[in-house]
Amino acid sequence: MSLNTLAQALVSGALLGCFYTLMALAFSMILGVTRALNLSHGDLIILGGYLGYWLWSGSGLHPLFLVPVAGAALLPLALLWHWLFHRLPEPRELSSLVLTFGLSLLLQNIMLALWRGEYRLIASESLTGSLALAGLRLNQGRLVVAAAALAVVGALYLGLTRTRWGRAIRATSLDREAAALLGINVDEATRTTFLLAFCLSGVAGVLFATLHYLYPAGGIELTLLAIVLTIWAGVGRLRSVLVAGILLGVVEALTVAWSGPRWRELVVSLMLLASLLARSGGLARGWSH
Amino acid sequence: MAFGGLLALRGVDIAVEEHQVVGLLGPNGSGKTTLFNILSGLLRPTAGEVWFAGCRVTNLAPWRLSGLGIGRTFQIARPFAHSTVFDNVLVGITFRSRHHYRRVLDRRREAERLLAMVGLAPKASARANELSLGERKRLELAMALSTRPTVLLLDELASGLSPKGREEVIRFYGRLKERGLTIFAIEHSFRVLAHVADRLVVLDQGTIVAEGRPAQVLGSPRVMQAYLGEDE
Repeated sequence: MSLNTLAQALVSGALLGCFYTLMALAFSMILGVTRALNLSHGDLIILGGYLGYWLWSGSGLHPLFLVPVAGAALLPLALLWHWLFHRLPEPRELSSLVLTFGLSLLLQNIMLALWRGEYRLIASESLTGSLALAGLRLNQGRLVVAAAALAVVGALYLGLTRTRWGRAIRATSLDREAAALLGINVDEATRTTFLLAFCLSGVAGVLFATLHYLYPAGGIELTLLAIVLTIWAGVGRLRSVLVAGILLGVVEALTVAWSGPRWRELVVSLMLLASLLARSGGLARGWSH
Repeated sequence: MAFGGLLALRGVDIAVEEHQVVGLLGPNGSGKTTLFNILSGLLRPTAGEVWFAGCRVTNLAPWRLSGLGIGRTFQIARPFAHSTVFDNVLVGITFRSRHHYRRVLDRRREAERLLAMVGLAPKASARANELSLGERKRLELAMALSTRPTVLLLDELASGLSPKGREEVIRFYGRLKERGLTIFAIEHSFRVLAHVADRLVVLDQGTIVAEGRPAQVLGSPRVMQAYLGEDE
């Protein structure tokens, strides 16, 4: 592998990693506040992508204009998921697996019925082409997606650290009972978390659809990636998720550059196994940014 | 209060008068913490009622009870471990007392005042998980006070502390009483209870087995032998 190919893979992977961060945050936030594993996470992103694709193919608008629309479109589902999660019996971690596995299958079949199994892509001309920078060719679509993802993650960071609702979400994630005793309405904080997380999923979905082909079962891989990143970074640790996302993007890009795309998923799976072996504490970590 | 087939509390009828310090004691598993969990809204009783300042508050959410003026600490202190001592105290001020301190500067001053009161001002910028056991308990007391309670439920403030630490706890009780707070406290230390409590209630197997003035209850051979064992 030449030095230029290596640099190309590093930059390209880092750009993709910014998107991975955005994609994993919604999963991590819900896990932090509810202790529930949302296996339908990737399917919600794909649904956001399909909504974006549907709007884009019908209107021809720039995909970035559709990002907030897809984010808002998933809000009713956030309230439905919150209602369902609220009724989960203990142990919540296990019950949530059963519930969200069912929801994942339901979403996949709804998407299959609505958009069939054909591959779809938001192939906007404004996102094709590449830029030359210091001898590297940067994909314009990836640059736009990375910039959009970083902007959303930055806004989320400010919201979580500087606002009252953000502090409520962080405190609820750290210790639900202690937060409630300090006057925080933890039910409201949980509902806000679901609304935020689903909005992020819708946003991530449209950005994803500009990079990758959509198909109804494509969410499984995204859920797996979110789990890997959450294990690496810890629940709701926003800065750590960003570092882990970029690292994952780089490892993937290096794998593809070195041995071709067929090894990509295997490497991610091996990374998941390695994470689980290395961190016995696993997912049980809290907010600290 | 029942958990499945286990009756954790049965026929417990306790009245805590305003500005009094009432001590609650009893062996492990007697139902003390369960009672506190009900009073603070963390558990819903399967039967019975809780009244506060003339209002029925049974089954109210913890944040609503906090809003009414009930504050609480835990037996094992539970501050937000990765946050600073100062930020921990600021949480309650921000969410519960914000109407009293509308400006950020005033909230920060109140946090500083509370930390000074519990002797943690020099540790304000330390992370909560860097504190010793005694310091954690003091931090939790400051956190409970940050919600401007009129009633404080204190769960074993003196347990696990050195004799010097216990003397400090006795002084804290005195200061809290001076502020006009009503205190319902789980304690195992006879020395602390004898100094601070106006009245004692003894629980065993979910029922009240003794109640009265400290000298009367602590001197009772039945309480000493059957439920409390040796003191310190």
